[in-house]
Formats: sequence, structure tokens, C-alpha cells
Amino acid sequence: MTSTPIPGPSADTPAPSSAAAPADEGLRQGPLVSPPPATASGEAMIAIEAVSKWYGDFQVLTDCTTAVARGEVVVVCGPSGSGKSTLIKCVNALEPFQKGQITVDGTRVKDRGTNLPKLRARVGMVFQHFELFPHLSITDNLTIAQRKVLGRPGEEARKRGLDLLERVGLSAHAKKHPGQLSGGQQQRVAIARALAMNPVVMLFDEPTSALDPEMVGEVLDVMVELARDGMTMMVVTHEMGFARKVADRVIFMDRGEIVEDATKEAFFGQPRSERAQQFLSKILAH
Amino acid sequence: MFAHFDFSVIGASLPYLFGQGMVFTVTLTALAATGGIVFGTALAMMRLSGIPGVTHAAKVYVELMRSLPLVLVIFWFYFLVPYIGAWATGSATPIQVGAFSSALITFTLFEAAYFAEIMRAGIQSIPKGQTAAASALGMSYAQTMRLVVLPQAFRNMLPLLLTQTIVLFQDTSLVYVLSLTDFLGAASKVAQRDGRLVEMYLFAALVYFAVCFTASLLVRRLQTRVAIIR
Amino acid sequence: MNYTWNWGIFQEPSPEGVGTYADMLLSGLSWTIATALASWVIAFTLGSVIGVLRTLPSRAANAVGTAYVELFRNVPLLVQMFLWYFVLPEILPAGLGTAVKQLPDAPFYTAVLCLGFFTASRVAEQVRAGIQSLPRGQRMAGTALGFTTAQTYRHVLLPNAYRIILPPLTSEFLNNLKNTSVALTIGLLELTARARSMQEFSFQVFEAFTAATLLYLVLNLVVVAGATLLERTVAVPGGR
Repeated sequence: MTSTPIPGPSADTPAPSSAAAPADEGLRQGPLVSPPPATASGEAMIAIEAVSKWYGDFQVLTDCTTAVARGEVVVVCGPSGSGKSTLIKCVNALEPFQKGQITVDGTRVKDRGTNLPKLRARVGMVFQHFELFPHLSITDNLTIAQRKVLGRPGEEARKRGLDLLERVGLSAHAKKHPGQLSGGQQQRVAIARALAMNPVVMLFDEPTSALDPEMVGEVLDVMVELARDGMTMMVVTHEMGFARKVADRVIFMDRGEIVEDATKEAFFGQPRSERAQQFLSKILAH
Repeated sequence: MFAHFDFSVIGASLPYLFGQGMVFTVTLTALAATGGIVFGTALAMMRLSGIPGVTHAAKVYVELMRSLPLVLVIFWFYFLVPYIGAWATGSATPIQVGAFSSALITFTLFEAAYFAEIMRAGIQSIPKGQTAAASALGMSYAQTMRLVVLPQAFRNMLPLLLTQTIVLFQDTSLVYVLSLTDFLGAASKVAQRDGRLVEMYLFAALVYFAVCFTASLLVRRLQTRVAIIR
Repeated sequence: MNYTWNWGIFQEPSPEGVGTYADMLLSGLSWTIATALASWVIAFTLGSVIGVLRTLPSRAANAVGTAYVELFRNVPLLVQMFLWYFVLPEILPAGLGTAVKQLPDAPFYTAVLCLGFFTASRVAEQVRAGIQSLPRGQRMAGTALGFTTAQTYRHVLLPNAYRIILPPLTSEFLNNLKNTSVALTIGLLELTARARSMQEFSFQVFEAFTAATLLYLVLNLVVVAGATLLERTVAVPGGR
């Protein structure tokens, strides 16, 4: 695989710093991820501008506009069917959208010239149902995309994969297959798999909603650690405890619209919209 | 490309192709499908009966038929049926059986094995609660099967049974090996007589395609409808 | 039943001049196996491509795949055999057509092509069903990691789909094996054809057919045993 740079449009964004990690980067011993480069702080890592999406005649997203700054943790919540999962999948173009634009680290998602595989390789994603590859061992799950997409040598990919596996506390399971792990363990591996690609941003699509209650905690712990290490994160979740603990901002969606986009303090303190108030009272009732 | 071909041969032989050939094919298909479904349902019930000898016999029969090429089975019955007839009637010499009867027996018995597997899946798809409910109402085993299980199984499996019948319709072309005049046999005879192989075989392919494709579209429509009802 | 059995017939020389009737049947068996294996190579490869076409997010690819499957599924195998054997050489350019007709072992090559293309339509349906039975998220996960469509199929979808469809692929393999007998109509001297000629020469019809039947049963058992072994080898630990 050649390493053609992603055609980035805007001149005011710096060249992607940690796109595909250079082969000589070696193993990081510190936190799960390196802190964001100081030069870029405060600047939008993800910019979502007036995005609308239809399934046929049915509009699922209406004029959504928001941004996630470098190093920021944004939680997206809302009732089911509100379009939050669809919106997050638009960020790495897993879902196409008809109107508006999304820019990730200076690269426009909806642009003919954009090399989508290259872009996606820099955006980590964690799915509701883990989506580990069942036919591959845990080690192979962690290394296959590093080798086939980033072109990393096998040994380097293995080192990075096993290092991350250790950080999510699952070193003992390297040789197993996904079917032999619990849901919580699989989701931790899935997070490690995404991190192995040295992503500049991590997307989480309801990462704990398919888990048995007793396994939610272990996954959230990994995510909290990740947030504290300075990773830029966009998280679709109903876990308000997680939001209170690490979110910088909370976005509330309903019927395809961003109804509220506020700091954590403002959102939990006094949501402005009635819909958000209702949602919160329901979800916090128990 | 087709300059030296003469497609008028098709028009001239249409009455023979359809009046004789297609009538044979359709008759054989309809009778063998009916017989095959009846015998196949019986085989499926035998296999699910749980009675040691009966279950086993049905299983051996189905597996044997499904392991053999249809062409070989056609030859088997072509030679075997006269002897079975003689044995059944107590005759000393093999009984002459018409080629059509021989083919009909062959296809009925052969396809029954395939229909049996479809019906077995259909019967097994009916929840155990249905038989329990029927028994609770005081129905006998036979009544439960006839009034409750089979009607549901049959409806669930109708698309598959019909698809298998389309396969049977295509399979009947293999009576060619007995030199019978089904649709393909008729086309083949005209082809040989007039030296028009290209024209006749292309035409035969076209007709088979038109019939089977249309039929499979209808089955698919039925399938979506059944799916909605369920 | 007044039929005179003669099981010693297999030891008697066949009218071909070389070997016994038993040798004749075994030669038929080897043609059956050779035809089945060679055509399966085509069927599996082409069938996988067609099956994948039907799962791609492209209308054109879907249409090509669907057209192929419908075409080859809705014409009887015997008619397809005749089209390949009698019709194809006639509509090829004259020189090529003659060359094809004079090919040694023409029935074998014809049967291999015909069965390969026919069975490919059935393999394609299994491959499509296998891919479609995978959770939608698998394709998304591959895509999200930066895999191209080809890589997603190569590393994620196909390895899982093949594992799921191994049992139905085994029965398609067996169907293909049985279908080789249809090639006797174009002169392939496979097992059923040999049993039939043995019956014609020796009049020991039931011995000939019994022997052929047993050989087919043994072939079936070998294939099923092989498939079971393969299934065990590729089984995923903790797999669904």
C-alpha cells in the first residue's frame, strides 16, 4: 500500500501529524495515546457543517452543525432513532450524507478527491457489537489492519498490538479467538484494535449498550483513561456517568436534529430544551 | 453470424414440439410432482415418527436417492420396473411397462426423496406447542398431523415445493436418455432429421428459460406474500 | 424374479479388447472424478466472483451477477450440455469451430466447461447468502479500519462466509459430482455411461448398475468425510 497523503483542502490546517505513524516510531511506553500536539490545540478536529441526510424520502439528519476540538471529549445522546448513530457514522463516511460537509483533521469527507480508506485509517471507531473478526485470533485482529492498511512490518504491528492489549488488561488472551472472550473483553480488544492504528480521533457508537450490565464498567474504565490521556473522542452513549466524569461537551439529538450543544456543566445543570429535560429525567430516574 | 442458419424450421415444427413434446413434459412434471409430494410427505412423517425401523428405512431411502445421479436412477428403474411388475402380478416373465409409466415411476420415486427433505424441515419448523395444543384438545396423532401440523408445514414450505417442481420440470429433460419424446426429445428429433441442431437447441433453451424464469418470479412473489402473512 | 445373476461377470474381459468389465467401470469412475474436480475449480472460482458481485454496493455489478444466476439456473443442464457441445462450435468463427470439434477428448472439455459454468450459478447463490448472513457491522468494521472494498472481502467477509457455507458447498460439490453423468449424452465415458455399456454388452444389467451405485455411494462417503475433516480444520475456536 502506498502512502499517498490525503488530499487536504484547506491551507490553514497543519499537515496531519499522526496520520499513519511512521515505521520508525517504535513502541510507546506511556499512556494509551500521545497527548495532542500543542500547536493544534483548540482547533476543530471534526467540523460538522449543516449536514442533512435522507433515506429515500425520509429525513434522518436535519441541518446538523457542531465541532469537536482537538483533545475534546464530546458525548452525543438522545432517544433511539434520534439519528445520533447515523451522525457519528457520517464522520468517517460509513454513511453517506446528501447535504453539508464534514471535515476531519483538515480533510473533507464528502469530496471526490478524498481517499476514504486513508481517512478512515486515521479515525478509530468502536461499534456497539464490537465487530471483531471472528475467524482471526486476538493478535491477528489487532494487527491485520496495521499490516494491510498502514503497511507496517509484521513484527512492529505485533508489538504495537500486544502493547495495547496489555494496556486494556488482556495480554493473557492474545492467542484466543473473539468467540472465546466475554462481551466486555471483546469490546476492550476492539478499542485496542482501533488505537493500534494511531488514530487522531476516536468514535464510539454506543460501545456499552450491547453489554451485560456487569461488563459495562470495565469498558468505561478504558474509555475514561483514554479521555484523560487527551484523545479526541466523540461518543454516542446513554452512560451519563461517563459524560459527567470526562465529557467536555454534551450534544443532545432528537428526530435528526441537534437540539442542544452545551458544556457538560450547562447541560447537566440546566438543559434549555424541554425535550432534553424530559430525556434526562427519564434516563436519570433509575 | 447466424446467416447460414434457418430458423424457419422452428415454425414448421411448432405443433410437434408443443402438441407432443411439451404436453409430455408438463404431464410428466405435474403427475410426478403430485406423486412425489404425497410420497415425500409420507417419507418425512416416517422419518420423524421415532419408530426405530420406520425412521431408519425412510432415512436410508432418502439418502440413497440423494446420493445417486438421476441418469443412473432412470436406467435402474427402466430395467427394474418390468421385473417388479412381474413379481407384483406373479407373472413369470418381465412385464412390459410403457416408457411413460416407467419415467413417471422413476421421477415420482426419485423426487420424493427431495420433497421429503423439504417437508421434514417444514414439519420441524412447526413449534412443539402446536402439537401439544392439539393433543390437549384431544386430537389423535393422525388428527394432529392432518388438521394442525401438515397444513401449516405445507404452507410454510409451498415456495420451496414449487421451486423443487421447477427443478423437476427441468430434470424431466433427462428422459432423453430413454429416447422419449418430451419437449427436448422432440426438439432433438427435429434437429437430427433436418440437420438443424443450432436452431433447435437454441430455441429449446429459450423456451425452457422463459417457462422456468417466469415460474420462479411467480414463486418469489408468492414467497414475499407468505412472508407477510406470517 | 427369474433373472440370472452372474457376479463373476466383472472378471470377464470386456468387448473392448483390453481389461475386464471391472476395469471398464473403474475407468469410468476416474473420468467421473476428473470431470467433477476440474469443473469444480471453475465453479468455485467463477461462482465466488458472481456471488461477490451480487453483494457489492453497485447496481451494475448486482445486475450482472443476477443475470448470470438466472440464465444458468433456468435452463436444464442437459440443454446447456447440448449448447456447449453442438451449438457453440457452430457459432464460433469457422476455423476455431472446426478446431474445437476436432479436439481430442472434446466431451471431457465440454463437460468440464458446462458443469463449471452451471455449478458456478449455484455456488454464487451460496456465496451471496453466506456474505449476506454476516452481521452488517463486519463490513463496516473493515471499512472503518481503512480497508478497501477488495481488502474487506479478502480479509473479513469471505473467510467468514466460506466457513458458514461449507455444508451447502459440500452438497453443491456432490450435486456437481452426480451431474457429471449428464455428460454421457455427449459421449463422455464416465461411470454411468460405462455401466450402461456393460449392460448392453453383457446383458447383466443389475450387476452393472449395482456396481455403479456402490461406487457412487463410496464417492459420496469419501466427499462427506473429507468435508467433515475440512470443517474441523477451519473451525474457529469459540466460533458461533
